[in-house]
Amino acid sequence: MNEASSTRVRRRGFLKLVTAVPVAGALAALASPLLRLLKPNVPKFDLLRPTAPDTARGEAIVAASLSELRNPWDFKYFVFTQRYPQYTPQGFKTASVPGVAVRLPYKIRLPLDWAQAIGKEPPVRESDIIVFSRICPHLGCIYNYVPNYREVTAGYGGYVPPPQRQHALMACPCHLSIYDPADRDVPGRVLSGPAPRPPRTFLFEIRNAEIVVTDVEPGGIA
Amino acid sequence: MWERLRDWVRERREHLNLFDETLVARQDNPMYLLGPLLYYFWLITVVTGVVLMIWYEPTTAGAYTSIERIQREVPLGWLIRGLHKYAADGVILTIILRIYRMYFLGEYKKPGELSWMLGFLGLILAMISGITGYLLIWNQRAFWAAKTVLTVPVYFDELPVIGRMGFGSMIAYIFLGGPAIGQATITRFYAIHFGISLVLLILIEVFFQRTRRKRINMSLLPIVLFLAMLVVISYILPAESGRRADPTRTPLPILSDWYFLALYQYVKYTPPLWAGLGPGLLIGYGMLVPFLDRSKGRRPLERPFFFVVGVMALLYFLAFTTLILFNIAVIEREPFIIMNLTAVILVLAFLWELRYRRRQRTAAPPPAPAAGGAAGH
Repeated sequence: MNEASSTRVRRRGFLKLVTAVPVAGALAALASPLLRLLKPNVPKFDLLRPTAPDTARGEAIVAASLSELRNPWDFKYFVFTQRYPQYTPQGFKTASVPGVAVRLPYKIRLPLDWAQAIGKEPPVRESDIIVFSRICPHLGCIYNYVPNYREVTAGYGGYVPPPQRQHALMACPCHLSIYDPADRDVPGRVLSGPAPRPPRTFLFEIRNAEIVVTDVEPGGIA
Repeated sequence: MWERLRDWVRERREHLNLFDETLVARQDNPMYLLGPLLYYFWLITVVTGVVLMIWYEPTTAGAYTSIERIQREVPLGWLIRGLHKYAADGVILTIILRIYRMYFLGEYKKPGELSWMLGFLGLILAMISGITGYLLIWNQRAFWAAKTVLTVPVYFDELPVIGRMGFGSMIAYIFLGGPAIGQATITRFYAIHFGISLVLLILIEVFFQRTRRKRINMSLLPIVLFLAMLVVISYILPAESGRRADPTRTPLPILSDWYFLALYQYVKYTPPLWAGLGPGLLIGYGMLVPFLDRSKGRRPLERPFFFVVGVMALLYFLAFTTLILFNIAVIEREPFIIMNLTAVILVLAFLWELRYRRRQRTAAPPPAPAAGGAAGH
């Protein structure tokens, strides 16, 4: 009696298992296209792969002309358009990367080591012109170029730059990161705030007295 | 093991008290109106939200204009929008106050653990619903809030082992619907915003149906009074629209909704990875508090350490909110001070707890000479 009932229970358990496995499988099969629906631009069956930043294609544009950046600390804002492959009706999605071109009072070595990673050779290595992406590397706000450093102290949380840095700075309104565009060792060095690294930079070349930006350092959500 | 877990859940489920439906005896105490009030505000939010859906246009081009239209042209549109906004604020406020009540009065202790955890989860979902909701206006504040919030998970990829799998970027990607905020983001936020409330409301209705509890356990007076209050506030202080979102310009200063302000100040103070991990730890603490706190007493001073943590959370919330309103954050100085202060207070609170327990042990008559002592709490 006792033995028989325990056998029966075991059989029931077995039947449950036999039913449950295909049901669970079917549910997983139903759920998988839903996941793909949420994250459409990955290859099939490759959902758990790291989300590599999509290889974006930028269009070279004129950021500024040399005459606009004649004097030290002159700057010009511009917007660079990047196209990402997407399952949209157009087959791509565009994102704007605002940038700023700055004339520095002295020549520095540009931080363009990232260029090799995307298979390009920086045309300009050393210059008194530097072009930054204005996307704050902290959390993606657009930071401002602040020509007068006193404005940084007044409006961006009370940071007072030391005497040798009392010149134009860059500062983000969201979380008050402050950068020095003209630092000789690390251009765009973080002076204050939570930013983990200097802003990303652009590759550029000089064509017919115009600064043409061709590519932007990958990474960060545009 | 499995059996024990099932019994545990069954017992807690029987004592589930999500909206204080069973606390009939304490209706004269406003702190016990918070449960029914929460449900009431929530209903108002859902109903007005559905009305707003008729007029709202979830596109990057049309969202801001349609909100302006609701506010100015649609008959009583300002009222519907005001009720939606202020009732939603009411939901968050009542849920926070209710969580504090449960915390300080030890209502999370057995058999209230599940009620507490569901309440806490409710707060998190309400905040998610809040932030997805305010992107829909498509104004400057909304745009930059969405942007910064969704960059935070990207830093999870810096974590040693888990980071390599790239879940952080994946979270950001799934919410944004692409590499940047755009039409896909608005669509997804719209779906999440609507989905959270509606799905939860259906689940709660099933719960009420099965337990036959009273939905809004309060008299008519507060019901009418609070509705009138919402109407008056919507009239005096119409819901703002702000400026239309401009992806190339971050406004200065920029502020989020009131319940995110303290978190916003915290983000200023910390390296970006901690901006995500800190709140995560806080949520973890909140969810696990019924299991961490093994003391017997229910009154606040009967568990000094947890009492101090609760008071500190409240004070930090208020202090950080004040600091951000004045846009003060001297990042070289303040995080250091705050960290040390917190550490000192926590250690003192811990010592207080030890001392309290030792006293209690000596005060109580020693039961058996061998067994008591070390294990007693």
